[in-house]
This record gives sequence, C-alpha cells and structure tokens, in this order.
Amino acid sequence: MPLEILSTGSGIALQDGGRRGWLRYGVPAGGAMDRHAMHAANRLLGNKADAPVVEVLMQGARFRATDDLWVALAGADSCSLVAAWSAKKVRLGEVLEFSKKAVGLFAYLAVPGGFQAEHWFGSVSADPRNGLGKIIRKGDIVEPSARQPGLSTGGIGRRLLIEEERRKYLSKEYFSLLPGPQFELFSAQAREALVVSEWMVSPKSDRTGYRLQGPSISVPDSIPSEPVLPGSFQVPGNGKPIITMVDGPTVGGYPKIAVLKDVDRDRLAQCAPGTQLFFKWADS
Amino acid sequence: MQVALKAYGERGLLAHGLSELEREGLCRTLLRERPVGCVEYVEGYDTVLFVFEQSVAVSDLAKWFDGIELPQTAEAKQNIHELPVIYDGADLKSVAEQTGLSESEVIQIHSAPLYTVRTMGFSPGFSYLDGLDPSLHLPRKDSPRTRIEPGSVAIGGSHAGVYSVASPGGWHLLGRTEVQLFDARAARGAKPDPKKVFLLSPGDRICFQPID
Repeated sequence: MPLEILSTGSGIALQDGGRRGWLRYGVPAGGAMDRHAMHAANRLLGNKADAPVVEVLMQGARFRATDDLWVALAGADSCSLVAAWSAKKVRLGEVLEFSKKAVGLFAYLAVPGGFQAEHWFGSVSADPRNGLGKIIRKGDIVEPSARQPGLSTGGIGRRLLIEEERRKYLSKEYFSLLPGPQFELFSAQAREALVVSEWMVSPKSDRTGYRLQGPSISVPDSIPSEPVLPGSFQVPGNGKPIITMVDGPTVGGYPKIAVLKDVDRDRLAQCAPGTQLFFKWADS
Repeated sequence: MQVALKAYGERGLLAHGLSELEREGLCRTLLRERPVGCVEYVEGYDTVLFVFEQSVAVSDLAKWFDGIELPQTAEAKQNIHELPVIYDGADLKSVAEQTGLSESEVIQIHSAPLYTVRTMGFSPGFSYLDGLDPSLHLPRKDSPRTRIEPGSVAIGGSHAGVYSVASPGGWHLLGRTEVQLFDARAARGAKPDPKKVFLLSPGDRICFQPID
C-alpha cells in the first residue's frame, strides 16, 4: 500500500523523534521541526508518537496512492485531499497534492505504523548536510510499516483530532523565553530589547536555525565553545539573534541570551520568513 | 565534588567553570555512571551539559555531584592517533604573514605538539584540539568560507582542528589529511558503534605528521 512521490515541491523529508545520545560526537538531534504536529498525525493512526513521517515543506509536493490506504495529516493545512488534523482512507490512484495556501511551514504526513526507512544513529531523520538518512526523491516509493491503523477503523473513513489539540499558527501570541546560559553577561538593555522589539523571521532561515531581523542588541564577548541546544538564542557579533533549530551546530561560542520553551519551539518552527514575532520572559 | 551548575532550557543543566582536570575526571566518571534520568551529556570547553528526560532541579544534580568522587590522576593510557597532513592549505601564507613566521615554521610549530581532543562538534566528528602553540593563536577569519572540504586541517583561536564533513567555517586552513574522521555509512542502524563511525573521541590524543 505504498505512496509514489510525484513531486517533492519545496522539499520533503523523512523525519521522526530524532537522534539521542550523539550530541557529544557533534551529531545534531534532527527530527521533526514541529514535534507537536508530528505527534498529532501519528496519534490519529494509533502510531507511536515518534513514528517516521514525511515532513512536507510549504507547497508543491504530490504523492499518489498506489493502493487504498489510511493517511493522517497535521500541521500546515496545505493538502487539498486530506484536511490537517485528520486521518482519512484514500483510494488507489488518488493524489495527495500539497498545493493549498496555508498558514504554517510544515505539514506532517503519517501512515499506519510509520514509514519504512533505514535508521542512522537510531533515527530516520534526513540530514543531508551530514550525509545521514535516506533522501526521498521524485519517483521513489514510500511504504507504511503496517497495513492498518493501530486502532479500530471498522466502518469509518475519517478521523478528526479534537479541537483543543489543533494549532492554527495564526495567533500573535507571545513566545516564552527562559534565561539562556549567558543571560547574566548581557546588559539589562539587551535583555529588555529582546522582549520589547519587533522581530521578524529572516528568509535566511532553515532547519539549522531561524535568524531574526530587527534591531541589533549589544553583545558580550564570545565564550569558550560550549554545548548548544535547539531553541537557544545565540547572539553573534552583529547583535541579531539566531535561534538554533534541530539540525543546528551542537557546540558554539556565541553567547546565548535566552532559550525558547519547548512548546514554543514547535510553534516557531511553523513561522515562515516574514512572520512577526513577540517574545516575553517566562514567569519562573 | 562541588561544581557550579545552571539551568539550560527546560531539560538541560550545565556544569560550568570546570578546570581541565575536573572536566576530564567528570567525563571519565560519566562513562560509568550517570544521574538518574540523564539521557545524554555533552562536553564543552570548560563545561559539561546534562540533558534529562524530564525537567530536573539544579539541587537534584548537585546531590548527584555530592555523591561522586573524581579520579585523582589523569588517565595514563589514551589512544594516540597519527594523522598524515599535506600542508598546502589556502591560508598557510596568510597565517605566516599574520604571525610573522615563515611557512615552514608554521608547519613545524603546528605539527610539533601532541594534541588532545577537548570537545566534539559543531558537526559530526569535528574535534576541537587543545595544545596549539600560542604563536599560532589567531582570531577567526572575518568572513567565514561557505564551504570547507572534509579533511581540511585548520586552526582557529587557541584550537587546532580537522573538518570532518563539508561545512561552512571561519578557521584558517593549513593543509589536508586523507584520514576519514567521520564515516556516515557506519552510522546506519539503531545503535552504531561510535568507534566505527568516528576516528576520535573526546580525550583522545593526536599528532600531525607532515607529508609531501
């Protein structure tokens, strides 16, 4: 019951919960940029939360069902055949076309049992910069690991996720920040500037990091290289923060003023270049 | 053991301000035992990051530190790797100019020490090497290169290093080695053997052998 890739559009990649235990060798965790959406897509089919999914970036990707099969989608609502936050049985020959304009950057496509794929450092996550994971291309076939969803689907053709679990990626809600390891080295003005300024996601953003456009904040000297976690606001000499994402460098010498709360890193992942961002320090 | 600890994000705790002896002893201890719930740890220059499954209080990790005793002497037997290097790097000349040395002196000074792998990262298998002679300490290049080939032997700040995968970088290139530091093919599987994937691990010693 496979899917054939007709077009990769802006970009598609196999992802899962990512790699664990390899940071000390310089291997980034990788995995889905928006873990919440990946978990939701998997849950709709009764899969393990971190089962392999296809991460679909923006528009253009197309897949053809070469048999009847259940699929689930979550994240950006960009597929015309299956709505985000729902699972549906699609029929042989139907085409999943990710062509709808949507808020959010990534849609997550799940199939029963997760997609079959080889593991690298315990994860299917595609990290072409480092030569890890299978890169899926036009013409490739991707297959589910199970024939049926891991929950009862007798007589039904569609499942929906409850409203509270869905995200619209629309809100101007604040992103909550925890103090970063070098918070104390930054001036009071710099800490204030981070939460009162208007920031925008730069077009020079990718799975390694989201760069911010906005004012320059004053930066202390660089530090001896230390471990860097996803969600960290590293501030290089030009004073424009870079928020490390899942494929980002594992160590670095730029001071880190703040760290996003985990739930907000998933939300940030869905913010396209040009999106305005508002930050606040979390109540501790 | 008494250490300075601070929170890093929701699930990270950073031990910082560690002396080299403390850091080295701690890392050897971590090969044998880890705090409960710690899913991984990462060596930094004078730091060790602990990543936990769930949020953990600084005081809980402090208790674990109270209970451990570090080995008092440095480990005697360590792996020593010899890397043959062709010194024809694009920055050899500019490094000579900036340091006031001749190119052959740069090569001689760079290939003299026995280096120690202090930290690995930013990319898989890249090693920050301690032991670079102070006469070769230079600030990183103002505009980093967008692509540096794997095997490039370089210096940056007080460190020497070898690029393990093609990546951008701001270090000064002195030469290249054909020895592979990272073999992505060996990384296949659920739990690959790090010794097959990476030539080096933190704590290893290496020296450079100039060849033609």
